Amino acid sequence: MTWLDLALNHKGMDRIKGIGAPPIPKWSLLTRVLPFAFSCNLFCAFYFCAGMVGLSLGEKHFIQGGIAQDLRSDGRKRLTYRPLYVETGVIPQANGSARVRIGATEVVSSVKAELGKPGSLQPDKGRVTIYVDCSPTAAPMFEGRGGDELSTDLSVALQRCLLGGKSGAGAGIDLSSLIVVEGKICWDLYIDCLVISSDGNLLDTLGAAIKLAASFLISFVTDMRNSNNIILILFLKAALSNTGIPRVHVAAGASGDDNTEVDISDEEFLQFDTSDIPVIVTLTKIGRHYIVDATSEEESEMNSAVSISVNRKGHICGLTKRGGAGLDPSIILDMISVAKHVSEQLINKLDSEIAAAEAGEEES
Amino acid sequence: MEYVSPEGLRLDGRRPMEMRQIRAEIGAVAKADGSAVFEMGNTKVIAAVYGPREVQHRSQQMSDQALVRCEYSMANFSTGDRMRKPKGDRRSTEISLVIRQTMEACILTHLMPRSQIDIFVQVLQADGGTRSACINAATLALADAGIPLRDLVTSCSAGYLNSTPLLDLNYVEDSAGGPDVTVGFLPKLDKVTLLQVQNLLNCVILGRFSALVVGKMDSKLPIDTFENVMQLAIEGCKAIANYIREILLENTKQLEYRRGL
Repeated sequence: MTWLDLALNHKGMDRIKGIGAPPIPKWSLLTRVLPFAFSCNLFCAFYFCAGMVGLSLGEKHFIQGGIAQDLRSDGRKRLTYRPLYVETGVIPQANGSARVRIGATEVVSSVKAELGKPGSLQPDKGRVTIYVDCSPTAAPMFEGRGGDELSTDLSVALQRCLLGGKSGAGAGIDLSSLIVVEGKICWDLYIDCLVISSDGNLLDTLGAAIKLAASFLISFVTDMRNSNNIILILFLKAALSNTGIPRVHVAAGASGDDNTEVDISDEEFLQFDTSDIPVIVTLTKIGRHYIVDATSEEESEMNSAVSISVNRKGHICGLTKRGGAGLDPSIILDMISVAKHVSEQLINKLDSEIAAAEAGEEES
Repeated sequence: MEYVSPEGLRLDGRRPMEMRQIRAEIGAVAKADGSAVFEMGNTKVIAAVYGPREVQHRSQQMSDQALVRCEYSMANFSTGDRMRKPKGDRRSTEISLVIRQTMEACILTHLMPRSQIDIFVQVLQADGGTRSACINAATLALADAGIPLRDLVTSCSAGYLNSTPLLDLNYVEDSAGGPDVTVGFLPKLDKVTLLQVQNLLNCVILGRFSALVVGKMDSKLPIDTFENVMQLAIEGCKAIANYIREILLENTKQLEYRRGL
């Protein structure tokens, strides 16, 4: 993500200008303004907030005034996260999984690894696919195809933040470590996320969940061995306790054709280095101040929001701006430095969770 | 393949009449009016209820009762092979319909005219018996939402393999090709509200039920065996009902405590 993208009003993020649609009025008025309400249904999907939040004028002033005074509705300061709860290994069939809850926003993510053929353009890199699904349990409007719009937006934003550009450059996850045999066999990682409950700040929660799920994804080492047999055997069975991608022994065929013997070991695993996976910090601008970790009420009041993915070294891996209001470039620079500062606490928190979970695993 | 060993143990070590371990939790989704997580062995399901609220499509509004809607969806990662399309396929639509009809029968809809009750069920892990787990989770979620119910609906499945009636089939036993009976039961009223039989029945059932079910020729179930299997499923439902009642009581005590009563 570059300045150019911001300047060109990157499509997909700023597509609706000046959403003038009124917030959904409360119950009794709904019968009178139902046509408006129906159209609001469609517009709201373009925000990353999951739900029509009806706020009265008094409530809006309360939120805006509170933020101006560094005191939000739930007592937090502007740059404080809600309490973060983490549980890993929740999906036994997946190679790695995590369930993250920030406040009332809850997300489950799972990482599955399968062997596949690398693309012809990037024969030395593995592939990662990120897919987000918004469950209707999070909001009634996600029923049927209602959640598709938001799901696609989130998937694309995550891909941008974590995987870099089309050429594979600048990816947060090191794709070249996923290769088994260059040009022939590589690991395909499928990252699937499910939004169970939504109360604002979906991107941050999803980013944290993916980082945690990937941290528990145990990786592999390829071991070239000479052999005369040219049979492709695929035993994709994640064995033992918390599963993981097993060690892969690859025997190259004598003539170097497509069929190679792949023997996936059930016993040997190695740790995947995921300390470089970035976390995503979303800064929401309301009035003249920015807040971190907005609830859905606060998100409905926002002018614009910038999501920045920062890795452990403090480098920026991706940046997305949403919302109709334009931002002065100096504000964006300021937001970036604030995000870097805030991301340190988030990364530390996640690391301590990972360490605690690993320690727990070693004991058991 | 042997599903019941000569000593009488199933593939996962259970006895034929033994259910898997059940676990329930109320209030998983904070934003919903009522929600619950229900686990039966490795099958894990989340249900969320939104309502009673204003009807979204005016044309569907009913002036004398509430509109009950339901959607069943499975997560991408819920089955062993990654699913491409989590919603909208025929099986999901059918199960949504089944759950809707079952719950509609037990909600006192006439008390909430012109309103809508949405039940959303999401499968996180599927290992057989997802239908039953969804109905149980939906009951808990409705109770958590405070929606007036005629009775709790509990559901359990039972099958017949290696000439033994088995309670609470898991995925492997379910895909064995033997008959699979899912029963939805109202414990206080002692009535069966849902009865689905799959993979089976080449006989006409007369007497108490007047349903004609025709199925595959390769597995037949004589009628008294079918009654045994159904009775076994009903016993399973009663056991689940006791557990659900305990969970609800515990939840109410928690609520009382928080309100300072």
